[in-house]
Amino acid sequence: MGQYILRRVLQAIPLLFIISVVIFALMMSAGDPLATMGGRRATRPSDRARLARQLGLDKPLSTQYLYWLIGNDWDRLDLDGDGVAESPGRRLGVLRGDFGTSLVNRGRPALEVIWDRLPNTLLLMVPAEIVIVLGALLVGIYSALRQYSWLDHAMTALSFVGYSMPIFFVALLSMYLFAVLFRRWGLPYLPTVGMFEPTVGKTPLEVMRHMVLPVFSIATISLAGYSRYIRSTMLEVLSQDYIRTARAKGLPQREVVLIHALKNASLPIVTVVGLDLPFLLAGALVTESIFAWPGMGRLFIYHLERTDLPVVMGILLLISLAVVTFQLITDVAYAWLDPRIRYN
Amino acid sequence: MDTAAGLTLPRLEELEAPPLSLAQLFWRRFRRHRMALAGAVTLALLTLYSLGGSLFLTEAFANFTQTALRLQAPSASHPFGTDTIGRDILARTIYGGQISLLIGLAAMLVELVIGVGVGALAGYYGKVIDSLLMRITEAWLNIPALFLLLIMAKSFGGRIPDVQLLGRSFSGSVVAIILIIGLTSWMYLARIVRAEFLSLKEQDFVLAARATGTSDLSIILQHILPNSVAPIVVAATLSVGNAILTESYISFLGLGVQPPTATWGNMLEGAHGYIEQAPWLWIFPGTLILLTVLSINFIGDGLRDALDPRSRAI
Amino acid sequence: MSPKHWRWISAVAAGGLFLSACAGQPTAAPTEAPPAEPTSPPAVEPTQAPVEKKVATFIFTQEFDNLNPYYSNMWFAAITQQFWDVWAWQYDEANTVYPVMVTEMPSIENGGISADGTVLTLNLRNDLTWSDGEPLTAQDFVFTYEMIVDPNNSVASAYPYDQEVASVVAPDDHTVVITFNAPFIPWAANLWQGLLPEHILRPVYEADGTLDNAEWNLAPTVGAGPFVFAEWESGSFARFVANEDYWLGRPKLDEIFIRFVPDDASQINALVAGDGDLGTFFAYSDVPTLQDAGVEVFTSQSGYNEGWFFFMGEEGHPALKDVRVRQAIAMGFDRASLVQDLLLGATKPAATYWDNSPYADPAVEPWPYDPLAAATLLDDAGWVDSNGDGTRDKDGVELVLTYGTTTREIRQDTQAVAQQQLAEIGVGLELVNFDSDLFFSSYGAGGPAATGQVDIMEYSDTTSFPDPDIYYWNCEEIPSAEAPEGANWSGLCDEELDALFTLELTQSDLAERTETFHQISRMIYEQVYWLGVWQDPDLFGVNERLTNVKISGVTPFFNIAEWDLQS
Repeated sequence: MGQYILRRVLQAIPLLFIISVVIFALMMSAGDPLATMGGRRATRPSDRARLARQLGLDKPLSTQYLYWLIGNDWDRLDLDGDGVAESPGRRLGVLRGDFGTSLVNRGRPALEVIWDRLPNTLLLMVPAEIVIVLGALLVGIYSALRQYSWLDHAMTALSFVGYSMPIFFVALLSMYLFAVLFRRWGLPYLPTVGMFEPTVGKTPLEVMRHMVLPVFSIATISLAGYSRYIRSTMLEVLSQDYIRTARAKGLPQREVVLIHALKNASLPIVTVVGLDLPFLLAGALVTESIFAWPGMGRLFIYHLERTDLPVVMGILLLISLAVVTFQLITDVAYAWLDPRIRYN
Repeated sequence: MDTAAGLTLPRLEELEAPPLSLAQLFWRRFRRHRMALAGAVTLALLTLYSLGGSLFLTEAFANFTQTALRLQAPSASHPFGTDTIGRDILARTIYGGQISLLIGLAAMLVELVIGVGVGALAGYYGKVIDSLLMRITEAWLNIPALFLLLIMAKSFGGRIPDVQLLGRSFSGSVVAIILIIGLTSWMYLARIVRAEFLSLKEQDFVLAARATGTSDLSIILQHILPNSVAPIVVAATLSVGNAILTESYISFLGLGVQPPTATWGNMLEGAHGYIEQAPWLWIFPGTLILLTVLSINFIGDGLRDALDPRSRAI
Repeated sequence: MSPKHWRWISAVAAGGLFLSACAGQPTAAPTEAPPAEPTSPPAVEPTQAPVEKKVATFIFTQEFDNLNPYYSNMWFAAITQQFWDVWAWQYDEANTVYPVMVTEMPSIENGGISADGTVLTLNLRNDLTWSDGEPLTAQDFVFTYEMIVDPNNSVASAYPYDQEVASVVAPDDHTVVITFNAPFIPWAANLWQGLLPEHILRPVYEADGTLDNAEWNLAPTVGAGPFVFAEWESGSFARFVANEDYWLGRPKLDEIFIRFVPDDASQINALVAGDGDLGTFFAYSDVPTLQDAGVEVFTSQSGYNEGWFFFMGEEGHPALKDVRVRQAIAMGFDRASLVQDLLLGATKPAATYWDNSPYADPAVEPWPYDPLAAATLLDDAGWVDSNGDGTRDKDGVELVLTYGTTTREIRQDTQAVAQQQLAEIGVGLELVNFDSDLFFSSYGAGGPAATGQVDIMEYSDTTSFPDPDIYYWNCEEIPSAEAPEGANWSGLCDEELDALFTLELTQSDLAERTETFHQISRMIYEQVYWLGVWQDPDLFGVNERLTNVKISGVTPFFNIAEWDLQS
């Protein structure tokens, strides 16, 4: 097992390296970060030239990537434009933990910019994940136990509808129902903008009130998809001989389901938790835009629009790292849960 | 023949049904799946709506702006209402449907070509090629799709010029989006094809073909591929729905197909700002996306049941 | 399910809840000094109601990226400078300059400007202080200059300090002497737009070697304006509280609360509902909605005009090199109706680049809408529809022009209208849209506008307002491989025009300079080097609760200290 983990970790490194190269190359042709530095006017030519020098944007692609990866404190830069490279660089590079400074929020380390917003996104994603797991379990188990009942058919149809919907449609519908219509009907309604009302302050209650609709939007689609998956797995497990034996032995239904069946159906649950990350992130991206939630998704779009390379690379790398880590954890959990799976 | 009890049993020849062709077999199993049938009908209707609607309303009308009539509720002259700059939403859903469906199908084709190619090569040749191709696939898979899509849309989006086809002009961003979606979704298909090839290449008929000196290419295309059609067809069908959804996501975020070309996704852009005043802005295109993708998912489910020989019997 | 699995799942759930709880803590404001806590005087007697703080709420659709005046050119950052870091001189609602930190505006008469125009002497007031009590002296001016031109500081704009200024010295605490390389006429519009506190930032500069990462940039708790920065919660809001020791007297408002909203629609909703007292940078189509809700809409002229720049370079479309074609396009595009329909008559078509300033020739009126005259001009120029496909052609080249702009809604609508109208006179328009950072990319970065891929470029721009100088049509600014940063994206080299621009930069006499600009504006108008589409003033929506509000085009909130809130 330890060897397997080590091998996977070692495999992940070139993976992340390839990813960083691909994204870097794409970002290079994504636009000119200097173009919007003039504010409402086009950037002045003299400022363009100077900023390109100071921010290292006048170097060729490979050099820029090198500086990004291992820093430039070992090299000298020509900051004053006289052709003589005399100033030492100040960047340490990603391998030493320095993701560079944001081009848009000039001066702020990219990691700090990202870290500011990351907790807000986690605040949406972790509760969403919990809702998905619990919800999918409930719906899936219930449907499996009551197979072919009208409730089962209804839930199947609903889950089809659920994962055929684009997230923003779910968000808009829930916004319309719970915010607009409820307010019109005089019922207590939910807020739709931001993380908290500035006048009230960032209290846990206020944040939770604002969290309801976004979390619901993110969770719905995955919940719909995974409930079907759990349902089919449970059905498969429930038709096994040992379940029939357990029932024949007179064990109560609850014990049969929860202890014997669920234990063997836990693999899908691990799948749900472990491999759902990319979908959750995509959901967070769209939901944050709709609900103006100050999270990492909106940060990504804002900085992408302005070709802020360090921040975009930082976000992508962190996310890819998270995805790879979660995949590894999932694989390990698989092996741990199912002794039949062996890795050699 | 008559039994002792006096019952008349059917004759043996009559018991056996005439042998069914593959197509008939497939159709029989498909039509048992009621939702799939409903999905097929709905999809046909939606296609009719998008294509047929253009006979009644011109594209110029769909792009015709009348700011004085902005954000009007559905009425006789504008059955679906008007949008923020006075364009008729009904006409835009018709033409938007054409673009969305076009993107779905075209992106699926791109995915098919790349995915089948990569999967076939990896599965057939194995070892080094397989390892290399799978590394690339894994790298591509590990970047969350939407982020990669947005970056690619930003990099390539504005650079492709308009395309003239069949007398109509398509915004260059449509081509860009098709390529981008295709380039980011082929991995799933590649994995499926690779799995099929890995299991099929050890079969006898392949060994026989090799023994008779058939070229590799011919074996791949004429022997193995036709036998792995079932999962490919299912995956391809589902990927159309996925492509339509993906396009709507990036258009919604503003980085997809650019106006004035309408797609169901970009019609929803910014609609959340008018949630109270103009719900018709997003209800119609959103519902159409939902119906389309739902039908495709049902059809895919039905196809999976119909084509998979290991599922329940006739 | 075995206890092991339950434990595992509950651990995940607990971890999630723990993380959410952690994230739920309010993040500390990145300040050096603790944020000023709003305190209300306790009610001493039950009959006396506690004094309510006067908090004006501003709604911003864009969040400022950096509050250091020299590290950001963002408009939403610049307009806050009148709150907490005033300029040496500012502009009132008529865009007339008035002294703030100097005792009087320097001129040749009072000796502030030397006879040859190369030395500028500023006499500072005696009572200037920073908000922490430290006196504001000429040393701060010298320090600001040094920081701007230091190559280790990646300031947003070093103009004109890097090119025009030779030195800045402080002979004593209240005198600043600025020496230029050559007489620099537009000095008033370009100098001293924000001061950096030396006593705070010099230690930072000496420790880090640069000001790029200074905390003060994001939390400027020491400033020289009527308000003091208090707090900035990224993504949500920012607060400025009254400066009790402001050297011109404490402002009437107690606090300015800036709220960041994601888009225009939420801004309008907030203004209409009364959740915000002031909003800005909204679309013309929102004006009626605001006015119906009782919000007063201010228009302030900041010199911006939306217009078409034509690409007339060597590799461009041959049609655009002919002035008759350009004039025909001007007459075939009905801008007056466009302004009525799309902008609801809230502004006017622009005639020259200098509209609404004394520098535009008053005799110049916008080109009239005359499609017949336009068609005639095109015929005369040799562009006729010889193959019957609807667009004119000549020598085998179709008169189809690429018309590009950013993705803003109003611009895309304008494109649609222009396409319809110009099609009627046989001119085809191919519409393209780009994200701003792609559209405004330089020649070196392959920007579509700079490299001449777009025949007609539409965007809104101004001069070094309120100074009329502009360099967009200078021959030397044409971009090329040797000069990839060139700003003359029209590819135009008109010797006569160039000579006039060179002349105006040397004319210190206002009357002479104004006359030169009249000639310039008339020439650009007649040659249609630039076609004005609409005048683009800044819009501000102000709740009637706020009184004494005056808005300037250059320094919008110049009299923010006078603003008051009526309940």
